[in-house]
Amino acid sequence: MQSQGGLSTRGIVISAVLAAIAIFLGATRLGFIPTPTGINATIMHVPAIIGGILEGSVVGAIIGTIFGLYSFFYATTPMFKDPIIAIVPRIFIGIFAAWTYAGLRRSGEVTAITAAAIVGTATNTVLVLGFGVMRHYLPAKVALTVGVTHGIPEIVVAVIISLAVLLGWKRVQRPEARARV
Amino acid sequence: MSEFELLRNITIGQYLPTGSYLHRMDPRAKIVATLLLVGAVSFTPTLGGNAVLLAACLLIVALGRIPLGYALRGILPAIPVLVLLAVMQLLFFGRAYDPSSPVVFHWGWIVVTAAVVRLVLVSAARFVELLMVTSVFTLSTRTTELTHGIENLLRPFRRFRVPGHELALIVTIAIRFVPTLALEAERLMKAQASRGGRIGGGRWQFVERTRQLLPILVPLFTFALRRGEELIVAMEARAYTGGAGRTAYTVLEGGPADWLVPAAALAFLVAMLRLPFPG
Repeated sequence: MQSQGGLSTRGIVISAVLAAIAIFLGATRLGFIPTPTGINATIMHVPAIIGGILEGSVVGAIIGTIFGLYSFFYATTPMFKDPIIAIVPRIFIGIFAAWTYAGLRRSGEVTAITAAAIVGTATNTVLVLGFGVMRHYLPAKVALTVGVTHGIPEIVVAVIISLAVLLGWKRVQRPEARARV
Repeated sequence: MSEFELLRNITIGQYLPTGSYLHRMDPRAKIVATLLLVGAVSFTPTLGGNAVLLAACLLIVALGRIPLGYALRGILPAIPVLVLLAVMQLLFFGRAYDPSSPVVFHWGWIVVTAAVVRLVLVSAARFVELLMVTSVFTLSTRTTELTHGIENLLRPFRRFRVPGHELALIVTIAIRFVPTLALEAERLMKAQASRGGRIGGGRWQFVERTRQLLPILVPLFTFALRRGEELIVAMEARAYTGGAGRTAYTVLEGGPADWLVPAAALAFLVAMLRLPFPG
């Protein structure tokens, strides 16, 4: 059922549960994977990618925004206590992932999900580090190194999780089996 | 067994009832004032300005009657990162950041200019200030007040198709789901552990660590989506139709006096951006 604001009940609930996963991953620190460089790799952006793929760019953007707000309010690192770095880049994760998925859908589910996970993760890494450089938290050289050493493992993890979750979910959740009134 | 207790670490929605003026404030006014203050902190580049901001933030913490140690408890774990950030800024910016600034330290390839020193101090001060502002806001606002405030503030934007009611509902459901997810994740972790699975490991075994996360994360996502489907059925079965024409049990009633604080915050923001502070 479509409500006036343009968000269906489905859109509301799926945004909420996936945003809850992002908050949960951050609050329990399960979403941070410590790496030898001392900076944590993150998988907290994966719910935004999955939301974008399942329900489109609006849902993806909402999940990303809630994830951004959460990471701003509860951040314990200086860079993410800056609202421009914590919130703005996260809005685009789900949007770009949703567009990539929609564009590549005809070339097969696996290809489209993989590409969307890569684009979504790269959006997060590039925009966060880019804004970090712009706001003078990081020198460009350092940002580039961090981008390569963390961006690539993050992409690999995001692709694996997105594929495992979405392929499994889509197999059970055929369109005709979805809850709809 | 403490590694299985996920709920204990979740501080979202934590409220510190001190009954101060800030606690009793209209949530709408508080949200607007907080946004303006965050803007003031984020865009003040000078040392003098940040000194004023630090004083203002301390005043706000005192006004909320929140113990300073409680408001600043995020600083301790952040110190290593703060030091790392400062070292990186001092080592690598060199002359690239504001080349006209005088050099204060020069040794081999390491060049530190006055502008970079100011940058390090301002980033650290900004972090402490934002930590205080966000702590006071989250500790003095109940999540229900927050969602009512969001919904009310976004109501005028409804004609531009901004779904204020729906966004407030999303935030409510998301916060409500976090403990449910934590319980499910505890169950999954225990199930893994009872079969010989292991969670954790050092910094160097991050591939191993990631692989251990998968058997928890994938079922957790499926669980959340399945619970979501059930909630959709439940809501549609009760004929949920969104925000249009809906009335609320809690009606926020604010007088002009409530908007004095955001007005003061706006004046403060303008002053911070306009006044020529030293440094």
